[in-house]
Amino acid sequence: MQTDVLIIGNSAAGLSAAETIRKYDFDKKITIVSKESGPAYSRVLLPYVLRGKLDYDNLFIRDGNYYIENNFYYIEGLIVSVNTESKTAVCESSEIIKYDSLLIATGSNPVKPPIPGIESEGVYHMWTKDDLDHLMPHFNKDKRVVVIGSGFVSLQAAWSAVCKGLKVTVIELADRIMPSVIDNKGAEILTGKIKECGVDLRIDTLTLAIKKRDDGTFVIDLKDQSSIEADFIIVGTGVKPNTSFLEETDIDIDRGICVNRYMQTSVDDVYAAGDVAGGPTAFGDQHQIHALWPTAIEMGKVAGMNILGKQFVYEGSLNMNVTQMYDMTVASMGQFTDNLDCDEHLMPESSGMGYLKICAKDDQIIGACLIGKTSAMKIFGMLRPVIRLNKKLKVDITRLESDLQKLTYGVAH
Amino acid sequence: MKTVSIDRSKCVGCRNCEMACAFARTGTTCESQESNIKVNHYLDERVLMPMTCLHCSEAWCMSVCPAGAISRNADTNAVVIDEDRCAGCKMCMLACPFGNIHFDNEKLVSRKCDLCDGAPKCVEHCIAGALKYEDMNDNAAALRCKNDHKLIAQAL
Repeated sequence: MQTDVLIIGNSAAGLSAAETIRKYDFDKKITIVSKESGPAYSRVLLPYVLRGKLDYDNLFIRDGNYYIENNFYYIEGLIVSVNTESKTAVCESSEIIKYDSLLIATGSNPVKPPIPGIESEGVYHMWTKDDLDHLMPHFNKDKRVVVIGSGFVSLQAAWSAVCKGLKVTVIELADRIMPSVIDNKGAEILTGKIKECGVDLRIDTLTLAIKKRDDGTFVIDLKDQSSIEADFIIVGTGVKPNTSFLEETDIDIDRGICVNRYMQTSVDDVYAAGDVAGGPTAFGDQHQIHALWPTAIEMGKVAGMNILGKQFVYEGSLNMNVTQMYDMTVASMGQFTDNLDCDEHLMPESSGMGYLKICAKDDQIIGACLIGKTSAMKIFGMLRPVIRLNKKLKVDITRLESDLQKLTYGVAH
Repeated sequence: MKTVSIDRSKCVGCRNCEMACAFARTGTTCESQESNIKVNHYLDERVLMPMTCLHCSEAWCMSVCPAGAISRNADTNAVVIDEDRCAGCKMCMLACPFGNIHFDNEKLVSRKCDLCDGAPKCVEHCIAGALKYEDMNDNAAALRCKNDHKLIAQAL
């Protein structure tokens, strides 16, 4: 078959691009290929469904008529190879799709750490709807779960288990939790909260092997510690971009697909967006993979605009994370880690916001992280354009919210 | 399409809008922390500034909501949150450059101005004429809109 635009991927980046194109052009033939069955759903919602905050049906973020109403041609299937010379993609079913423009929005897949026994049945990730379907029957009171890894996804999975009354152990190889999302102090505070919630959280712990017993339960062997038992296991140790089907192409890949400010790859008429792509950041990095929902939405929009020929330049991605877990709001944005050469401003306790750190350099805010209250979130929202546009603001932490409002609303000093 | 216009030079800081909004939302309280409109005071600049959702034409909160919970009401043009779909993840609060999305700590969902389905109570109870519910085509609203867009353009 022939299509004007072929989009491989049916999540944040792919749909954002498809909708952007459709906004300006109702006739262009857009084909969306999804390797997963069923309508589009939101990965971000998986832990919220697991812990019962959301109904399962709310996982689906577009309604049943979406593809027809938007005139999208939708195919369920796996693309196994792409030929950028003949501008064709081959499906697992051997069907060949010829395209004018290609958008690769294939996302990422969980990394499997090299632990013997990790392939056993009963060892899951929490990354896809299938994973959720497998996990839900296990989420019963008093079941024992071991979560390997302590990143954003793992800790949300563990929190869902806590909410459902499971006995939860979290194992982290490194000497602290969540290295890419919060700073050391934040990690320390959150660690305390996680333990208060009854989680057996072990840092500096190497998993040696996963052994499955005949009765279906597991024994997890740990280095220099006694083994622990579990009814099932969740592994969350990061993700890697889905690029294997591109091996025979000339598309530049450096872990992720390298894209420029137009979301163009190194090959003409081939674009990439979302978790699979490494693109420019607000801080001047060339090819950074964020694997974050907001970045995927932005990249998809930029790709869509440029597929339309509109010469739309991406201002660069700004990393941002937020979730509610262990009765805390956990959020971060931009640059906030401990090794930076910058001024750190801590919100005083009297603000009631919790632990909020603002990082600034030469009167420019470059990032923030929070383990605290929702009331701090407005600061994050207003910070986004301030960081992106390099707006000058001398940080007086006690007046920060008010100063940000004045800057945002143009109230003269 | 009508929207709430704000003339900050007329605001007297009575906070009636906050109370009216809180009561319209809850039916039980006028406490301003329950309101979706906030009056900010900047004493040094001698400025009073009511702040409420601008219902941006390119609403970033709506694009970024990972739950598909934010949509535009076809009748009022308001950007609205479906609290049954809202996961409470706060991504919209991270997205709003104006700090105009609030959080309901009881229901654990985000909340914001929905223009009271076309009859905004904040406007009804404004004693100073600072808030008006006006057609976009009217001069004042158009000017406000222009200013908002300038702000939005700067912010995004």
